[in-house]
Amino acid sequence: MDYAIETDNLTKTYGSLTAVNNLNLKVQKSSIHGFLGPNGAGKTTTLKMLMGLLKPSKGSAKVLGQEVRVDDANSRIKIGYMPELPKFPKHLKGIELLDIYGRMYDMTNQQRAEQIPKLINLVGLKGREKEYVGKYSKGMQQRIGIAQALLNDPELIILDEPSIGLDPVGMIEVRELVKEISKDGRTVFLSSHLLFEVEQICDHITIINKGSAVASDTVQAVSSMFTGPTLIYLEVTNLTAKVISAVEKLPFVTKVYREENKLTVQVTSQNTADVQIRVSKEITNMGGVIVGMEQKTSTLEEAFIQLIGGIKKK
Amino acid sequence: MKHDVEQTELAGNSVSWFRRFMAVVRYEMLWNIRKKKFIGVIVFAFLISSLGLVLPLILNDSIPQNTHFAITYGADSISLFLFALVIAMNSVSSEFESGTIVPLLTKPVSRTTVYLGKLFAAFIILLISFIVIFTYTSIGSIFVYGPQNDLGLLPVVLFGNIVSAFIWVSILIAMGTFTKNTILTVIIAIGLFVSLFMALPIVSVFSGPSTALNYLPGTGATGTLITTDNTTLSISTGTDNLGVNMVYALMHSGQNVTFSKIDIWSIQTGDQTLPTTELLYIESIEFIALRGLAIALAYITVFLLIGWFAFKRTQINE
Repeated sequence: MDYAIETDNLTKTYGSLTAVNNLNLKVQKSSIHGFLGPNGAGKTTTLKMLMGLLKPSKGSAKVLGQEVRVDDANSRIKIGYMPELPKFPKHLKGIELLDIYGRMYDMTNQQRAEQIPKLINLVGLKGREKEYVGKYSKGMQQRIGIAQALLNDPELIILDEPSIGLDPVGMIEVRELVKEISKDGRTVFLSSHLLFEVEQICDHITIINKGSAVASDTVQAVSSMFTGPTLIYLEVTNLTAKVISAVEKLPFVTKVYREENKLTVQVTSQNTADVQIRVSKEITNMGGVIVGMEQKTSTLEEAFIQLIGGIKKK
Repeated sequence: MKHDVEQTELAGNSVSWFRRFMAVVRYEMLWNIRKKKFIGVIVFAFLISSLGLVLPLILNDSIPQNTHFAITYGADSISLFLFALVIAMNSVSSEFESGTIVPLLTKPVSRTTVYLGKLFAAFIILLISFIVIFTYTSIGSIFVYGPQNDLGLLPVVLFGNIVSAFIWVSILIAMGTFTKNTILTVIIAIGLFVSLFMALPIVSVFSGPSTALNYLPGTGATGTLITTDNTTLSISTGTDNLGVNMVYALMHSGQNVTFSKIDIWSIQTGDQTLPTTELLYIESIEFIALRGLAIALAYITVFLLIGWFAFKRTQINE
């Protein structure tokens, strides 16, 4: 399989402190891959090694098929990167910043003239682009940070905590923006410590704790690692043996429990919307009447807490 | 979002190094030009230049004749240092302090390109500043001292002054890259400048114009040049006077500079007798100018290489 990012025992130590420990990361092309971990887990250090800003103490990394080396300018041509809480030169206006960075990508005058207004629009900075970056609010700095990461129409976009410091509306806008930019097959690798953000945006996820990857798979697969299968709770009138038997015969149903007129159906499928429709159809076809239906799904939060070793009690 | 940027044009080695380099130069020049302290230094340089022009008028009853004022005036040591300080003190260090180094070095520009771009921008800013100041001084000197001769040598003095200032630029950039701290860089640089600018001449009063002074940045040793028309000129051999010394070397080719030690202990209070002097050594003005240039270029090369090496190897933890 072709990976956008692939690391092999990537390690970074600072004296006796191991920031990243034998990390083996695989990010599929055209995926939105979340890199989740508590603060200080080694996310930013990993991203900096991937961008050639830090030299690994051990191991190696490949980005878009190229071995990452410190200070390899050409390897960054197809990558867009937004650092955590990005800091840009205060003496430049927003539009100047994008123009200069565009020149660093060797974009022509015409390319910059077309691309920069589009990006300013996309990140919602229209009308503010001629202000100095030093006067921008934290949210505006994040927005210009995203814009500069998209300047070169990158194949891979690496975002380090893109919604940190934003208000709730700004966070939603950033999530929508990430979904938008991933639509045309780009790979987005997004580091975050916000579970709901990763759960809402990403299709794949790697959880990192104390420098090591503790889980890496699809969001659903990681979510169900600890809390078991999905359960559907139903309240059914006219709950006959025929109804129960029909439900049991459904291919994705693993167990059915009955307690008076209440039915608990254990399913394996992750397509829960489809499962609910098929279960309710089967019950109705057999003469049962559904009074209530509720579903308990494994959450990423439960898996995450288990993976990082639980919540520390104060 | 799919736009018209031709990915193929961006790919691989087709990206032009020169365009990326010029982008860094542009980035750095805008920074320098927009610094308030840079404007302050320009104003300071104009004041110093104006003072240099009008002071002889104030101190003398009649206007002294000087047909070579424009090409022998040069920038003073403090102006050279201040220009370099303002341009280079935070050129690298503040990128680390503010965190702007991260977005900069994640663009497809190598650290060497960034480093060279910053140096080239510093050179351009120095060049423009000195052209403006030298034009002002030259025009002013025509008004004050009458028509000026040998104005064709102005580029020589300009070149010498830029090289002189660039010694400090290279020292500041090297220190800024090592310390990644602007305040520390400024403190060290000012300490170095003050010790060279003030302490060494004081030492030289007692030791005489020791040859060791010729190899340190700053004012250097002081000697006397007697020109072909029997004019006595005071020559300072240090790198700060490189521009003027190069002009003198071209104007007074073949003439020697004598370096003598004044025995200050022979001066007695109330005694009218002159202090005794001891001839130490004689050097030709061409040799002094060439040695000054070689020493200046050696300092620039060494400090810039140190800075470049540190910048290439640094880990970006910001």
